[in-house]
Amino acid sequence: MQKLISHIVADIGRVLLGKEHQVKLALACLLSRGHLLIEDLPGMGKTTLAHALAQVLGLSYKRVQFTSDMLPADILGVSIFERDSGQFRFHEGPVFSQLLLADEINRSSPKTQSALLEAMEERQVSVDGETRPLPEPFFVIATQNPLHQSGTFALPESQLDRFLMRIGLGYPTREAERALFNGVDPRAQLRQLQPRIDGATLQKMQRLVGQVKASESLLDYVERLVQHTRQSPECAVGLSPRGALALLHAARAWALIHGRGHLLPEDVQAVLPAVAGHRLHSGSQGDWGDGTHLVERLMHQVDIIAA
Amino acid sequence: MSQSREMLPRESLLWIFAAQFAALLPQFALLPLWIVCAWAFAVYWRLEVYRGRRDLPGRTIKLLAVALAVGGLALSYRRWFALEPMVALLAVSFTLKNLELVSRRDAFLSLLLAYFVAATLFVFEQTIPHAFYGAVCVVLITAALAAQQGSSSARPRRALGLSLRLLAQAVPLMLLLFIVMPRLGPLWAVPQNTDGASTGISDSMSPGDFAQLSKSDKPALRIAFDGPVPPPEQRYWRGLVYSDFDGRRWSQGFGVDPREGGRVSWGPPQQPLPAVGPRYRYRVIQEPTHNRWLFAMARPHSDTDGVGETPDDRLLKKAPVYNRFAYEVRTWPRETLGAVPDLSDFERSRNLQLPGGGNPRTRAWAQELRAKNPDTEEISRRILQFYNRRFVYTLKPPALGADSVDEFLFESQQGFCEHFAGSYVFAMRAAGVPARVVAGYQGGEWVAQEEYLLVREYDAHAWAEIWIPGRGWRRVDPTAAVSPERIRDGLRSAAAEEFMQDSLFPLHRISVLNRLRLQWDMINYRWYQSVVSFDSDRQRGLLQRILGEVSPLRIALFIAVPLGAALLCVLSWLWWSGCSRRLPPASRLYRKFCRRMARAGIERRPGEAPRDFARRVRAEKPHLGPMVERITAAFEKAAYCEDQEAEKQLRRLLRQWRVADGWW
Repeated sequence: MQKLISHIVADIGRVLLGKEHQVKLALACLLSRGHLLIEDLPGMGKTTLAHALAQVLGLSYKRVQFTSDMLPADILGVSIFERDSGQFRFHEGPVFSQLLLADEINRSSPKTQSALLEAMEERQVSVDGETRPLPEPFFVIATQNPLHQSGTFALPESQLDRFLMRIGLGYPTREAERALFNGVDPRAQLRQLQPRIDGATLQKMQRLVGQVKASESLLDYVERLVQHTRQSPECAVGLSPRGALALLHAARAWALIHGRGHLLPEDVQAVLPAVAGHRLHSGSQGDWGDGTHLVERLMHQVDIIAA
Repeated sequence: MSQSREMLPRESLLWIFAAQFAALLPQFALLPLWIVCAWAFAVYWRLEVYRGRRDLPGRTIKLLAVALAVGGLALSYRRWFALEPMVALLAVSFTLKNLELVSRRDAFLSLLLAYFVAATLFVFEQTIPHAFYGAVCVVLITAALAAQQGSSSARPRRALGLSLRLLAQAVPLMLLLFIVMPRLGPLWAVPQNTDGASTGISDSMSPGDFAQLSKSDKPALRIAFDGPVPPPEQRYWRGLVYSDFDGRRWSQGFGVDPREGGRVSWGPPQQPLPAVGPRYRYRVIQEPTHNRWLFAMARPHSDTDGVGETPDDRLLKKAPVYNRFAYEVRTWPRETLGAVPDLSDFERSRNLQLPGGGNPRTRAWAQELRAKNPDTEEISRRILQFYNRRFVYTLKPPALGADSVDEFLFESQQGFCEHFAGSYVFAMRAAGVPARVVAGYQGGEWVAQEEYLLVREYDAHAWAEIWIPGRGWRRVDPTAAVSPERIRDGLRSAAAEEFMQDSLFPLHRISVLNRLRLQWDMINYRWYQSVVSFDSDRQRGLLQRILGEVSPLRIALFIAVPLGAALLCVLSWLWWSGCSRRLPPASRLYRKFCRRMARAGIERRPGEAPRDFARRVRAEKPHLGPMVERITAAFEKAAYCEDQEAEKQLRRLLRQWRVADGWW
């Protein structure tokens, strides 16, 4: 189990150099059945990460490039009249896959965004009055450009909340950059990746996440943390119960990735910026979307041991 | 204010009703039935409102309800200014308040009223079970108040728990106030019910009365002696003197009762008391009788307020004994009193009175005795001998006809104390000796190593007194001539077979139960002695014993010192529970470790995880590294894996470390 996970991390690490922490976060997000939002500048390897994850985890993978003129049907699928049978037949859209990469989600109109987000929440799609379940497991990895870039529609808070984590990749390290310069081709590496597991194994691992033990002391800590976000004057809105549950779940996945059967405060701290960063904001206009720094600040204000 | 305007929490409604029910329950027995129905109706209406089926009543209905209640009270009680109508008025208004129980303020009002209603219980009864029930009421009402806080505070365990905690905290204060609070006499007196059935000995005696009393084992008197105790054959507790005989009934006669102009001396005794100290000093606690007469040995004097003395050597109370009443008595036996004045003509004729006709055989027999023996005591001795030879002491004498004395003396010859006393006095009077019947109690049973004497209803007794010139009134007990064991050992041994034969469950035959009952009586007695009758005198006595001298400064200190100590205790408890009690042991140990590290110069930052901290310590003070790492690992295991072993290990590691340190 532990070995398997480290293999997966190492495999993806070969494609995405020097981003082990982010890879683990992405993996933790998938293990806790959450959707992932990757936010960064173009060309930082967002798509590569998503692709590599799909490859290594052995999931069926589809990619949609969101544009401003996209319609919900472009994602969900359409019913088309077939002359041979004289009936309508449903053509599944890209959403019917195990891992969907929604590239540049904030470039499409809110209508299309919400169609996808509904599918994410319900894990099913209603088209033409018929409800169709999505495959299991089902993940969405969405990428978005920083909001100040032109041609973007900001995701509303309620929809951001559907994503378990938001991570950023950041510039590569010097060594990684040098390796790139030296001709390591991520795309070639990507093609060479072999699946380590398949969807069924992934589901088993997801079940294991739920079994990671959280002691009273740790729950106390999480509770204090959540309370602090709700009471701190720096925070305009506190963490919702859904956010708190997401935090606990993601921390469990993190503990599992590190081969532990119980949670440590470090696990919570490791996933907290990714889980809470997009759910909190300080309220001042200029700070919008800068939740990650806020979360890190808050995190250091809460004592791990006691009230 | 904004809070009190809030609607009352829905789930607390049942609590309010429970508290009301508890407060009203003891009153239900005393109040007219329609008040109970009114309460049930108001509760029903309010519950319908609660379930959304009905609206709260409008102004018209409320006015109608008030009018009905007032009318009902007026019809149920003819007198307004008495205790029961007032309690009933309180209960009714309390009941009607349910019809407008809307806001939290209403609930508070209703519950505060409930405290008051619960307290009215003690106006009527002050026994231990009632006190216990009162405490239960207070707990329930407080719980109902606690349930008003909203947000699941109405859950039974939470509400009751909070209530018990609050009241437990109030207990020391209650005890303190009980001891220190000035005891004022009642500022005004509310007339109590006078129509309650009087129990015990009545103001007249006809055949069968005492046999009736002998069936009751209710306590009548409790007597505690201070100093010498009279021997059993001297324990005659006089209550009434009957001088008037109408052929069947013995009664006090006109003009003896103070209501009919009878003489009673309140305050210092009118007849001079001898300079020598009284033979006996005792305190009598009398159960409520609804009558005015008290019981004491001849010749008594009492310094208790409201107790007076009659010319025939009895004690009387100014107002009837509606509640348990305690009085101090000093008794001088008659022989010690020295010279007695002669019997006045009026008294002589009163005590020689006989009905115009009837009982001819007795009259003839007495006159014959008189003719043969000029000496008064000789006549008496002869009559007693007559009893002694032929008569039978029984609780079930045959019924007597018109000439009851004749029939008893010469035909049935079976009787009970009243027959003996009555016929004896009749015969003595017929022989020309002033005589009278005295009723009261005789004997009693010791409780708890002679702590006090318990006299029960079945100890009721009638005997006689005759006038001997130059020596005054002398007690003669004709029953003693027939059944000496009645006087020595009490009714139970004198009438073993017949004693309490009619009772449904002959429990008195089980000695364990008898012992238990005596013990229960003793507990009640001590309760009464120490709690109920704790008046200003006793308070002063107690304070004097505690403080040495009662001065405002000392009382202030007496209040302030325990109060300050209690507050300090609460403060330290708060501090202690706030800082360490809620922490699990592992965290506590880790905190200790952190404090030590801080002393060593490396302070853990609040948000720093143990492992990060260990890493930092290793970087800054490498020599501490291994130890810190082991402690951190043990702590993580103990706190987050909930491993008991690791906790012990952590403790051990910290202890070892203390042994090993000294280098910082």
